[in-house]
Amino acid sequence: MTDRSATALVAAAGAGDESAWAELVRRYAPLVAAVIRAHGMSRADAADVNQTVWLRLVERLDQIRDPEALAAWLATTTRRECYRLSRLDRRSRPVDPYDDTLDARHGLPAEAGAPDEALLRAERRQALREGFAQLPPRCQELLALLTADPPVSYREVGERLGMPLGSIGPTQARCLHRLRNCPALAPFLGARRGVETNGGERDGAVAAGR
Amino acid sequence: MALWPPADDDALTVELGAALWDAGPVPEEFLTAARAAFAWRTVDAELAVAELTFDSACDAEPAGLTRSGGPARTLSFRSGQVVLEIEVTEAGIVGQLSPPRGGRVTARTTAGPYDESPVDEVGFFSLGAPPAGPVRLSARADGYAVATDWVSLG
Repeated sequence: MTDRSATALVAAAGAGDESAWAELVRRYAPLVAAVIRAHGMSRADAADVNQTVWLRLVERLDQIRDPEALAAWLATTTRRECYRLSRLDRRSRPVDPYDDTLDARHGLPAEAGAPDEALLRAERRQALREGFAQLPPRCQELLALLTADPPVSYREVGERLGMPLGSIGPTQARCLHRLRNCPALAPFLGARRGVETNGGERDGAVAAGR
Repeated sequence: MALWPPADDDALTVELGAALWDAGPVPEEFLTAARAAFAWRTVDAELAVAELTFDSACDAEPAGLTRSGGPARTLSFRSGQVVLEIEVTEAGIVGQLSPPRGGRVTARTTAGPYDESPVDEVGFFSLGAPPAGPVRLSARADGYAVATDWVSLG
């Protein structure tokens, strides 16, 4: 089963083969989960997004043409549903500017008394998740696989993505380059711990120079 | 005094991995829900899927309108000439189906139907407040039958 191409799996699942669907879930659930994580959703919203994405896919099995399209479709649909639910949360909860949870919703740790070190690490991780969410789906899929735990071998990464072994490293480097240069990380660029940097605060990303 | 983000690709990959996966591997409930979705492959197979084409919660309207435009959320679904529009509040769902040809609308979660309503002569129907989680409406009228995309309404 594991050596079947995504194209073959999609076709088999569309024809009613439940084991093919289970294999698609095994391969792509980490991608969906990684995109959801990158948006910092609540547990309930995250579960709703995950379920919605797979329900939508079931009805579109006959419209997915190739593995690359499937990964892109899953990442795009997941991002869109995360955005929908995040908007609902903001609409349904009155916003109190003095409420700590406002900071939490904007991706900053709420615990004010946390040690600087922990605070900085949390801010950086959030920035990485946001940066990851802005990457092209192909990069998200590759980086999600390369950082998976337990580790996925290069050989398996190549098989899963239909990518020659020799191009995994260079593609990873290009994706990381994009990550370093994405807007979410801009406030951190060149920042040294404990040293004030130029520019100060940008768009709520109060982060860099503390 | 290390620069951040790290210039070394391996170091950045490790940090990204920690950021993405620290919450653990894919939650079991995600896998269970994803596998279970397959059961819906044939449930509404005879219905055309009405795709979600507009949701006031997240689709572009003139800036600022969505947040000050009152409590109602509006969504549109379309399948060919059939359009299903709904307005969702805490009180429930009111909607209009066009073209109006009578019939019934059923609202369901993945756990099963939670409400249904006849469609009146101008296409109006009303349903109870949606539970949390993805919901789908199916409409069967004289001459057509559609089911909407799954979407969270609660």
